[in-house]
Amino acid sequence: MKSFACFCAVAVSAVLLVICQIAVITLTPVEAVMGPVQKIFYVHLPLAWWSLVSFGVTATAGLVYLKRRDAASDRLAHAAAETGLVLNTLALVTGSIWARRSWGVWWTWDPRLTTALVLWFLYAGYLVLRRVDMPAPRRSAACAVMGILAFIDVPLVFLSARLWRSIHPAVFASKGGGLEPEMLTGVLLSVGAFGVFWLLLLYWRTRIFTLSDELDRKKAQCTDNR
Amino acid sequence: MLKAACIIASKDIRLVMVRGGAWVQSLLLGLLLVFVFSLSLPAGETASPQTAATLFWLASAFCQVLAFAMLYALEEPTNARAGLMLAPIPVQAVWLGKAMAGMGLILASQAVFFPALVVFLGQHVSGGVWFFLAGLLLADAGMAGLGALVGAVAPGQAARESLLSVIVFPLLIPLLLAGIRLGEAAFGGPPAGLFRWLGIAAAFDAVFLGAAVLLFPFVFGEPQ
Amino acid sequence: MLTLKGVGKHFGARVILHGVSLSVPAGSIALLTGQNGAGKSTLLRLMAGLLTPDAGDIRRACPDNAIAYLGHATFLYNELTALENLSFWDRLNGGDGGNARLMETLDRVKLAPFADERAGTFSRGMAQRLNLARVLLRPPSLLLLDEPATGLDARSTAMLRQEIRAARDKGAAVIWITHAPADDASLADTIFSLDGGTLAFSGPPVQWRAKTGPASRGGASC
Repeated sequence: MKSFACFCAVAVSAVLLVICQIAVITLTPVEAVMGPVQKIFYVHLPLAWWSLVSFGVTATAGLVYLKRRDAASDRLAHAAAETGLVLNTLALVTGSIWARRSWGVWWTWDPRLTTALVLWFLYAGYLVLRRVDMPAPRRSAACAVMGILAFIDVPLVFLSARLWRSIHPAVFASKGGGLEPEMLTGVLLSVGAFGVFWLLLLYWRTRIFTLSDELDRKKAQCTDNR
Repeated sequence: MLKAACIIASKDIRLVMVRGGAWVQSLLLGLLLVFVFSLSLPAGETASPQTAATLFWLASAFCQVLAFAMLYALEEPTNARAGLMLAPIPVQAVWLGKAMAGMGLILASQAVFFPALVVFLGQHVSGGVWFFLAGLLLADAGMAGLGALVGAVAPGQAARESLLSVIVFPLLIPLLLAGIRLGEAAFGGPPAGLFRWLGIAAAFDAVFLGAAVLLFPFVFGEPQ
Repeated sequence: MLTLKGVGKHFGARVILHGVSLSVPAGSIALLTGQNGAGKSTLLRLMAGLLTPDAGDIRRACPDNAIAYLGHATFLYNELTALENLSFWDRLNGGDGGNARLMETLDRVKLAPFADERAGTFSRGMAQRLNLARVLLRPPSLLLLDEPATGLDARSTAMLRQEIRAARDKGAAVIWITHAPADDASLADTIFSLDGGTLAFSGPPVQWRAKTGPASRGGASC
């Protein structure tokens, strides 16, 4: 039953992603200035958005862990950080490709890209901390604190980067979001499809950590019983 | 809490002065950074105000990492950390004491880095000095508070300094940007938006010093 | 003075202590004994408040500044002198750091001539005596000792036992992990024995000797 449920979940996610890509290619208009390359936006935006949500989950799960000291919150925080970092990396890559085609450079120090890059370093540091050799409860508490600090740094990084420099397209600057209705539909479809994909990744990564901890517990019991 | 923090800070400063070598390392690292960069300049040329300010804050950031690695290492040889936990003081007093000691070390190091920048990179202090000093104090307070929190995370780790760098540097970006802009203005760069940069630094301090007070008990204790 | 009810502690998957309940009244000495890995040091750290139990409850009928802990680690700063070390810990524990009282305490542990020597130059015995002086600055209500005599010579060990007795006579509850329960049982009012993280024995020394037989006379290690 569980395998069937997993298969259905994967199938739903795959179908949604395919539908959204078809919609992006066929239904959304070609942007007047940037041309077809602008459609990277329908992949780039959901990746950036869901990576930020993932990091928010890391911070929240970290707060819960510090309060309750339960392993489940710790595993969720870890899985969310990993998933978020993967999505963030993809967002940076797609953003970079878009920047190259649109502005002729691979990288610009604009506030959103800068924030995304700083987030990448923050959560890469979080994952480095996860692998440090120290007692597990101390490491979990340290990572929970790091996850919270990293997330509360995000608005400050964004504000300071915006104050420093800005050339990112202000997508949602004007009333109505600055998007044609078809583009908005494409965005919403993409965000939805990637959201299901993100949830699946998060669920499975958390499940792998849960099974791994169970295995460690059983190994410890066997060692004690010998 | 303040009294206990002062006792801890004065003990730490005294130990650092007695040991000597560890603080000198951080000084030398900063000076080398300035000196090696100055070698890259063509003869007769000076660095731009932004470059000089960036080097100043980079050297300060490296100093911060080494300072807090050193301050927490003071408790390790005889597990004095447990003694501090047993003392009838709020655990945040340890954080505040370490932050005060760390801030003293950073300020003392910056007093050496600043003239080095003037000498090696040909800088002149020509404007926005009060903004720079205000920004310096705000940024150093933020660096000290964050360093004192994160420094407690990795005691006894062989790669403590590199771990701290990896964790702390990205967190410090807003402070470093503010410090660089304010430093640039002091070295004759454009004086635009200085109040807003001070605001960013103040906001960083408010958020992170508050977070540190709440989160420090979770990182300082023995494994719970 | 100290009451534990159903105390449990685990580190990750490993259960260190389970269902430990005991009580130590004021003015008594309790020995804590057991094999290596039985959970003695963890239990002592729980009693001191250095760790939080995962299950159960610990009640201490004394303020936090009346708890003293003496273990293998000396809590001393090697670059500070003996006097400076004592002054730091005294002021941190609410004392005035006055030299007269500190010197008196150093004299009690026979370290007065070494007051201005750096703690890093001390032998293990001298360092542990300085550690003892740190504990004696404020008469404790709860004194926790984790094999404090390890590496000490006979003279230092005798001084330590004398101070433990004196603390008990002044009304402190003393809990003492010892690696020589047979030798120290004569001082104790109660013996607690841990086995596999649970309390295997709790009672007066005479019952413990009867239960353990020849092992209690051979300086069994903990």
